Amino acid sequence: MPILAPPRGFRDILPTEARELRAIERALDETFASYGYVPIEPPMVERVDGDSGLERERLMQFLDRDGSLVALRPDITTAVARLVAQRYRDAAGALRLSYFAPVFREEPAMLGAEREYDQAGVELVGPSGPLADAEVLALLAESLARCGLRDATIEIGHVGVVRRAFADLNDDESAAVLDALRAGDHVGAFRLAADAGMRDEALGRARNALSARGRAVESIDIDGVDELREVIHLARDLFAGEPLWGVPNLSLVPALPYYTGVVFEALHPKSGFPIAAGGRYDLLLGAFGTPRRATGFAISVPRLHLALFESGWRAARERALVSLAPAGTRDTAQLAAALRARGVVVAIGAVAERAGLEIVDASVVDHDHVRVADGRVMTADELARELA
Amino acid sequence: MSRLRFALAQGVLLSDALTALRAVGLDVSRLGEDRRLVVPSGDVEFVLARPSDIATYVERGAADLGIVGKDVLMESAARVLELADLRFGACRFVVAAPRDALERSLDEYRHLGSLEVATKYPHVAEEHFRRRGIQVEIVKVAGSAELAPQVGLADWIVDLVATGATLAANDLAVVEEIATSTARLIANPASYQLRRREIAPLVERLASWAAAR
Repeated sequence: MPILAPPRGFRDILPTEARELRAIERALDETFASYGYVPIEPPMVERVDGDSGLERERLMQFLDRDGSLVALRPDITTAVARLVAQRYRDAAGALRLSYFAPVFREEPAMLGAEREYDQAGVELVGPSGPLADAEVLALLAESLARCGLRDATIEIGHVGVVRRAFADLNDDESAAVLDALRAGDHVGAFRLAADAGMRDEALGRARNALSARGRAVESIDIDGVDELREVIHLARDLFAGEPLWGVPNLSLVPALPYYTGVVFEALHPKSGFPIAAGGRYDLLLGAFGTPRRATGFAISVPRLHLALFESGWRAARERALVSLAPAGTRDTAQLAAALRARGVVVAIGAVAERAGLEIVDASVVDHDHVRVADGRVMTADELARELA
Repeated sequence: MSRLRFALAQGVLLSDALTALRAVGLDVSRLGEDRRLVVPSGDVEFVLARPSDIATYVERGAADLGIVGKDVLMESAARVLELADLRFGACRFVVAAPRDALERSLDEYRHLGSLEVATKYPHVAEEHFRRRGIQVEIVKVAGSAELAPQVGLADWIVDLVATGATLAANDLAVVEEIATSTARLIANPASYQLRRREIAPLVERLASWAAAR
């Protein structure tokens, strides 16, 4: 007997779920397009040489036939950075790109983690400043709202402010502190800072900054806090949404090292992990030889789907599926064509997988007449009107 | 909103953790009353679990907060927020070797180019020797690593020691210290943001309780 389950970390998405994911994809595509973002499809496989941001051991990598090391893409942002450096090196103006695509990451076994999942997101390359930062923030908030997600908050921090909170330290020391914060180790970060001779008063100020969320951020006097507040105000002008969706939060230090300015995460009470994350990453494109300002976000589609599902969301109902019991092959063919021409969704014969669709049982009487479950006989026209 | 879920490690840290929680005003009287592993208490729900599972629960959001040793966090590589050092449960990760055989094993290392290291903590051991540039072969054991050098399973061990008595009793001596460990208050990163109003006062009270000890 062959093994029937896919390899660890990969799975089949069955029709009911696939239909829901398509609904999410449509909502996201439409929202991205409404802000002027155009789709892009980088390849599934990328060379392993540039700085991907992700640790090597998280890559699903293998050798190409010419001996070069390649990997299934771990994210789309890095591919976009490479592509911008190659194709849009001298482009003036803003580049607005969007994607909805699978990414691949090696995960430790036995954690139930997926090695392939869909990411949806945008990259805004070129513009900098508060309006550009606000644009991607508002777009994220609007995207989640248009998918039907309620009660999401977007926590908005600023890596530059955190860095400046430790300005008393030299470059190496402050890099070590930032590394600890990126790993979530606040205890270790403050211990490193204290060991490096940062004074109690400065430590206290940094501690206040790192724990400031919401209104408390207003009392923080570090360069960049005003910018953070301005970005949030502008984002709320661009998309009003639910009250208080944007929360200033200086404790937010993402794990990926390439962020430089405003950063954010979308959180939801039904999800133990962020649903989406993003921010300004002005240094990544420079690693590919084309220093350009850039910001963007990526939504984890499975996490978004799960949060939607757990809060009672279901994909919008589609038209019912008529399961047409055949009688005479030509009559059946002609009746199916007549129904479909009138906008009815028809499958000939019994349906094994309803994919959550409503099923209407009907049987062929002749090329223009159908009998429905309660015994009534009607024309293709009449059935089409009844189902409309 | 649901109760704040607080995961506590069963075992050596539990009594100190309960002392800390009692000191900051949480009612822990019903913990350990019977064999229940989920114990509601006011606005909090306590969950008792094995130390190595606490990091997993908190990382995945099955618990919002947890108290667990830094040693467990170092070995698990779970992404959680370490918010406060609670200063109890002190122990050290050390490299140890048979007291009389340190020279012999180093000599062997020069000859064979590799040492065998038995440990319950393969990640910590691997990371340490990689940083030091020493080539080792890690032998993962499920308990009593002290036994390994005596029966020829490994040259050295990496183990967690509190007093060092077990090492001494097995004729092992500390070669070097890798890291010190004490109990940490940890949080799920998403919970820490979404439930900051409930979590922040607890962090503050537990941190000042620890600082005053």
